[in-house]
Amino acid sequence: MSFIDSLFAGLQLVGNVEAFLALGIGVVIGVIGGAIPGMSATMAVALTLPFTFSMSPITGILLLLGVYKGGIFGGSIPAILIKTPGTPASSATVLDGYPMAENGQAGKALGMALWASCTADLISNLALIFFAGFLASFALSFGPPEFFTLILFSLTIIAGVSGDSLLRGGLSAMLGLLLATIGLDLVYGTNRFTFGNPNMMGGLNFIAVLIGLFAIPEILSMVWNPSSHDGVARSLGKNKVTFKEYQRSFKSIVRGSFIGVFLGSIPGIGAAPSAFLSYSEARRKSPNRENFGKGEIEGVAASEAGNNGVAGATLIPLLALGVPGDVITAIIMGAFMIHGLQPGPMMFILNVDVIYGLFIGLIVSSVFLFFVGSVAIRGFKYVADIPRGVLFPAVLVLCVYGVFAVNNNIFDVGVMFAMGAVGFVMMRYKVPAAPFLIAFILGPLLEDNFRQSMLMSGSSGWVLFRGPITWFFWTLTAITVFAIVRAGIRATRQTSVPTP
Amino acid sequence: MNFAKAAFVGAIALGFTATAALAEYPERPINMVIPYGAGGATDISARTIAEPLGAAVGKPLVMSNITGAGGATGSVAAQNAKPDGYTMLFARVGSHSVNPAMKATLPYTLDDFRFVTVYEINPVACAVTPASGIKSMDDLIAKVNEGGVAYSSSGVGSLLHLAAAMVLKEFGVEKPLEAATHIPQKGGGAAATAVLNGTATFLCTNSSALASFVSNGQLVPLMVTTPKPVAGFDAPTAADLGKPALEKLVGWTGIAGPKGLPDDVAEKWGKWMASATADEGFRSKMEARGSVIELMNPKDANDFIRGQYTIFRALVDELGMRIEG
Amino acid sequence: MEDRSIQIQLGIGAIAASVFLISVAIPFWVSSPSNVPNIILSPLFWPNVLSALTGLIGAGLILTSVVRPRPEQAAKSDVDDRPAAFRRLAIMAVIMTATVLVMPRLGLVWTAMVTFVATAFLVKTKHPRSALVCAVLIPLVLYVFFAHIAGVAIPQGDFVRLP
Repeated sequence: MSFIDSLFAGLQLVGNVEAFLALGIGVVIGVIGGAIPGMSATMAVALTLPFTFSMSPITGILLLLGVYKGGIFGGSIPAILIKTPGTPASSATVLDGYPMAENGQAGKALGMALWASCTADLISNLALIFFAGFLASFALSFGPPEFFTLILFSLTIIAGVSGDSLLRGGLSAMLGLLLATIGLDLVYGTNRFTFGNPNMMGGLNFIAVLIGLFAIPEILSMVWNPSSHDGVARSLGKNKVTFKEYQRSFKSIVRGSFIGVFLGSIPGIGAAPSAFLSYSEARRKSPNRENFGKGEIEGVAASEAGNNGVAGATLIPLLALGVPGDVITAIIMGAFMIHGLQPGPMMFILNVDVIYGLFIGLIVSSVFLFFVGSVAIRGFKYVADIPRGVLFPAVLVLCVYGVFAVNNNIFDVGVMFAMGAVGFVMMRYKVPAAPFLIAFILGPLLEDNFRQSMLMSGSSGWVLFRGPITWFFWTLTAITVFAIVRAGIRATRQTSVPTP
Repeated sequence: MNFAKAAFVGAIALGFTATAALAEYPERPINMVIPYGAGGATDISARTIAEPLGAAVGKPLVMSNITGAGGATGSVAAQNAKPDGYTMLFARVGSHSVNPAMKATLPYTLDDFRFVTVYEINPVACAVTPASGIKSMDDLIAKVNEGGVAYSSSGVGSLLHLAAAMVLKEFGVEKPLEAATHIPQKGGGAAATAVLNGTATFLCTNSSALASFVSNGQLVPLMVTTPKPVAGFDAPTAADLGKPALEKLVGWTGIAGPKGLPDDVAEKWGKWMASATADEGFRSKMEARGSVIELMNPKDANDFIRGQYTIFRALVDELGMRIEG
Repeated sequence: MEDRSIQIQLGIGAIAASVFLISVAIPFWVSSPSNVPNIILSPLFWPNVLSALTGLIGAGLILTSVVRPRPEQAAKSDVDDRPAAFRRLAIMAVIMTATVLVMPRLGLVWTAMVTFVATAFLVKTKHPRSALVCAVLIPLVLYVFFAHIAGVAIPQGDFVRLP
C-alpha cells in the first residue's frame, strides 16, 4: 500500500465523531488529572483504561493518548502555581515557572507552557510519523553500555541546574544518589538501608520524594516566617504570553522538542530527564543565563518543550518494536493487546490503517491540547490569588491525598514529610533541590546499567567502550565536563576577592 | 458563618449515615490489593476478573495497586490488614511461591495468608531471537555448555529468574548459575527488550508476555511448559521434550486474605469465584491473552501453591540460590 | 547566614556523613552475599563510591571557602524572632508526625481536616473563617473525587466511615 492509500485507510478509521470526541475528552481528563498533584498522567491513563474495553480499538487508544498528552501538559499548572509538579515530568517547569508566578506572571508562565507544549507535541508527533522506523532500530542498539554512557552524559545536566555554586549542586546530587540506593539490590536482591521495613524494600516512592522536595519546603518556609509575603500580593496574573516572547524562546522550544524526541524514542528514560536536559541546554545557550531560576520565561518554554517532546516519541518503540518506553506506554500497550492488536513491526503491515489512524489522531490532539489548555489556564490561574493562609494548608492536604493515592500507602506520606524537612534544610543552606531530583531519577539507571554491563562482559571495563554510540557519549561527556570546569574556574576568578 | 455551619453539619451527617448496624459480609466495598504496577500481567488479570466478580459480590471492589520489592510491599499491606475479608490480595506466582522460596529476609511466609482461590494458570515459554541462530532447546543447551550465554529476568527472585535456572537444570546443565549469566532487569518489559537487543540470549517467562513478540517474528519460542501446546506458539511442550517435571513451572494468579480469615468468608469467595469465572466475556478475554482458566477451591489452591513452593524451594536450596541478606 | 559559614558548615556536614556512611551505615545496613565474584559487582560498591565522593565534595566546599572566599553578603536575618520561628517549626513537625500516625486509626478525611486547621492557625491565617470552611470542604471534596471517581481506597479509620 502506498503512503496515500494508507493515509486514506487511516482517515476512514478515525473520520467519525466518536474518535474525535474520545480524543477531546481524553485531553480534558488528562489536563485535569495532571493538574492534581499526585494524580499524575500515569494514574489518569490507568484509570481511563477500563473504559476503553468496550470501545472500538482506535477510539479507545485515542482516548488514552489524549489523556497522556493532556496529563503531561496539565502537570505544569500546579508546578507553576503552587510549586507542586502534577507529574514528575513537570518538575523542571518549577524552576522558572514558580518564580514567575511569585512575580505575578502566572498567566504568562502558563501561557508559555501551553504554547511550548503544543509546539513540542506537534514536532514529536511528526517525528513519530516520519522517523519511527529509523529511530526504532536506533533504540534497539541501546544495550546497557550505551545506556550507561547516555546517563553519565545526562548527569552533566546537574551543572546547569546547580545555581551559583557547582559544589553545592554536586552535594545535592550526591544526596539524591545515596537516597536512591535504598531498596533491594538489583543483582543480588539483598537489602540496602531498608532497616527490615517492607515499605522501604521497593525504594522510596519517586512522587513522594518529588512533592516532598518541592512543595513541603514552601509550606515550612511559610511556617518559619508567616509574614514574609505580607504586602507582596501575587497579582491576578491577567498578563498573557506575547508572540514576541514565543519567538524569542522558539529556538529553545525546537531544541527541547528534539531532545524529547531523542530521549523518548529510547525506552526507559522518560520525560523528566528530558525536561531537565532541555532546560539546562537552553540556559547554557541563552543570553539571559543569569535570569534562569529567577523567573525566566525561556526556562519554562524549554522545560515544557522537553517533556512534551517525549509524548509522541515514546510511541516509537511501542509501535515499531512492541517495547513500552515507560509506565504510561506500558498501560497503553495493554489497551492494544486487549483489542487483539499486537504492537510491533508486523503491525505496520497487518494493521496499517490503525497506525495511520493513530497518526492522524495524534496530529489533531496537538490542536485539542491547545484549546483545552487555554480554557484550563483561564480557570486555574486564579489559584494564584488565593490568600496564602488558606492556600498553603490546602496544598498540604492535597499533597497528602495525592501522595497516598499514588501507591495506596500511608508510609509514602511519611516519606513526603521527611523529604520536606530535608528540602527545607537544603533551602536554608542554599543547596539547590533540582540536582537532587535528577540524581534520584538517574542514579539507579546509572548503577543498574553499569552492573548489567559488567555482568555481560564478565567484569571487563572495555564493554563500556564498545561501538560508536558509547564513543559518541564519552566524547560528549568529556567536552561538557571540560566546558563546565572552565566556566567554573572563570566564575571563581571573577567573583573572588583577593585575600588580604 | 452560616455557610461554615452548614458545611460542618453536612459533613457530620454524612459520616453518621455510614455507620449502619452490622450486616452480613460484605456490607461495604472490598479493598483488593494488587501488589504489582498498573498495566502489568497481574494488574490486567485482576481488573479483568473484577468486572464479573464485582457483580457476584454485589458490592464494589476497590482496586489498589501497591507496588514495590517484587510484590512484597503490597503483600505485607494485606498481611497486616484485619482478617475481616475487607482487604484481599491478588497473589501471584512471583510474590507467593518464588519469592518465599528464594528470599530468607522476606517479611512474610505462606502461613501468613489464607488462599481462597487460584483462578488463572499461565504457561511459561522460553524464547530467543531469530538472529541468535538457536532453533531448539538442544541448540540452546549446546550453546550454554560452550559458555557465554546470558538470560534476562524481571529481577532477582522473579519467576523469570527461577524459571531459566530450573529449565537449564532439567535439561542437564550441571551448574546452571555458573554456566549461564543472569542479567536482571527492572520489570518484565525490560527483560524482553534485553533479549531483543542482544544483552541476553534467552528468557523464560509467561507466554502472554511473549505473545506479541512471537507473532511479530521478533522472538522464537523454544518450549512451553503446559501439557497442551499454546496457541500461536510453534514450540514443543515440556512433555514432548521428555521433561514432564517442568509442567510444575507455571505462573498463576489467585486471591488471598490475611491469616485469620474466617471460614464463612473463604467459602463465600469460593462461590463468587465460581460464578465470576463462568462469565463468558471474562473467559474469552483471558484466553485471548494466553491464560488457562482453572478455578481451584480454597483447599486445592492452598495445596497447589504449597506444592509449587516445595518444588521451588528444593531447587533453590540445591543450586544455592537462596538470598540470605 | 552568610555564604562562607554556609560553605564550611556544609563541608563539615558532608565529610561527617561520608565517614559515618563508610564506617557505620554501609557495613551495618547494606548486606552483601559472601560469594560475590568481583568487587565492582558487590552491592556495597556503589554506596561506598557515593559516600567517598560526598566526602570529596565536602572537602572541596571547605577548601573553596578558605582559599577563595566569595564576597561577603550582608548577613540579614529573615525573621525577627528566631526562637518563635523554631517553635513554629517544631509544632509543624508534630503536626506532620501526628498526621501520619493518626491517619490509619482516624481515617484520612478527618485527619486532613484537623491538619488543615492546625496548619492554617499555625501560619496565623488572615482569613480564619474561610480557612475553617475550606478545612471541612476540601478534604471532603478530595475524598469524593479520589474514592468515587478515581477509585482509590482512601483510609477510613475505625470510627466514622464515609459512604
